[in-house]
Amino acid sequence: MRHIKLLLALWQANIQAAMEFRAAFFTQVIFMMINNGVYFIFWVLYFDKFNEVRGWDIHSMMLLFGVTAAAWGIGAFFFGNFITLADVIVQGRLDYYLSLPRPVLLHTLASKSIGSGMGDILYGIGSFVFSGYLTPDGILRFIVGVLAGVCIFIGFLVIVQSLSFWLGNTAALSQFALSAILTFSLYPSALFDATTKFILLTILPAALIGTIPTEFVRAFSWQSLLQMASGALAFLLLSILIFRLGLKRYESGSAIQVEV
Amino acid sequence: MKKYLSILSMQIINSLAYPGDFVGRSVSIATFIFIFAGLWGTTYTLAGTDTINGLTVHNMIWYFMMAETLELGRPRINRTISEQVKNGEVAYILNKPYNFILYHFSAGLGDGIVRMSLNLIVGSAVAWILAGAPPALMGWLMALVTMIGAWILHFCFMALIGLAAFVVEETNSFELIYQKFVFILGGFLIPLDMFPAWLQKIAYALPFPYMMYAPARLFVKPDMDLFWQMLTGQIIWVVVFVALLSFVYQRSERFLTINGG
Repeated sequence: MRHIKLLLALWQANIQAAMEFRAAFFTQVIFMMINNGVYFIFWVLYFDKFNEVRGWDIHSMMLLFGVTAAAWGIGAFFFGNFITLADVIVQGRLDYYLSLPRPVLLHTLASKSIGSGMGDILYGIGSFVFSGYLTPDGILRFIVGVLAGVCIFIGFLVIVQSLSFWLGNTAALSQFALSAILTFSLYPSALFDATTKFILLTILPAALIGTIPTEFVRAFSWQSLLQMASGALAFLLLSILIFRLGLKRYESGSAIQVEV
Repeated sequence: MKKYLSILSMQIINSLAYPGDFVGRSVSIATFIFIFAGLWGTTYTLAGTDTINGLTVHNMIWYFMMAETLELGRPRINRTISEQVKNGEVAYILNKPYNFILYHFSAGLGDGIVRMSLNLIVGSAVAWILAGAPPALMGWLMALVTMIGAWILHFCFMALIGLAAFVVEETNSFELIYQKFVFILGGFLIPLDMFPAWLQKIAYALPFPYMMYAPARLFVKPDMDLFWQMLTGQIIWVVVFVALLSFVYQRSERFLTINGG
């Protein structure tokens, strides 16, 4: 309950901060929606040429984009530091969070909001609406799929960026991990062979963010639900464990005054 | 000229300073090529043909190797410029005895040379395993020549986006839009050969294919006519964007407000 209160207070503060620069915020939101729309043109071109590939057509792809964009957007808007955690660690900015009686990882992640995330959320919902899978139970499955995606996005990127505790500057590694998970969550895993599918379900869990939730929205299956739930739980727990292990190695030159 | 070469070499040394990052980059390009090879391998198999719009699977995989080398090798100079404008650091750079834009060009090139070299080595190894022997020497030469124009055009775009921080607070959105235009109309995700004819015409009228498609396509299927067409297009767009960047930079200086020292 204390954690929920903390989150609500942080989100309120973040939204107030965003509203302080409304024009910049709404510009980011609109630009992100345009950005996603332009990226989707690839699939319009692809399916214009190949019509359908292993059961995936343009409508399924709209759904895939909807699930992934909404999951990413929620992560970015409500837990914005999951993208820049490596910088926070390397620059010694964890000092601020360590000095307060709150869970360090949760506090750090939710202390930042990326305005463009709202654009992803709106695009995701819009893409879902226009995909043709908008039914009452489809909406419920969409919500479940998106929430699983949020957990896996955050868990995966926290794990990668926590390597900064051991390796030092991993900005480029983190950046590429981010772009890899984001890019490949936007591809249906049906296009790939068994080895690639395995990679996308494990070390780079993009299929657990995009393909599996999309298949779950298209048609309920216990297998998909189990895959999403176990993936979300495993990545979240592992990320907390690795972050805590790394925290024991954390060193800084005391940057409390900078963060305040 | 000497001072810019010093900045370039300094940046190369900086880029080599973090071996962990070095490994991370190699893994990234290997992963991307592997996945793209899976996507297009499946597509060709399902289509039941060896060639689609003049390109084979071999061409497609090496095309993506070159496209990824370029894309992953380009430092996001706009972010550095934008940060320097927003936090006021620009004031300390402007009074140094070098040109602000040329400084970033040299530093970005230094970083880019290291990144692209590494990408090329690792990417080629992966593509060779997945698709077989690399394209002919002529392809490498044409790609190398057109990479110069592609790099300058990319820098101009990045610098223009970075300088936009003088008038708008948030410039990341512009970068995302620019990147997506390169991804689609530049032929990064799908070669222009796969476009419908009407979209090819639109793409060719824009600068994006000259920043990505030109080196990647000439690399896998060297063609003298296409080479001259791409080179001419690059020269025209480089002149346009260098002039635009120069104009915007001069105008931007007027927006600079320095408080204190």
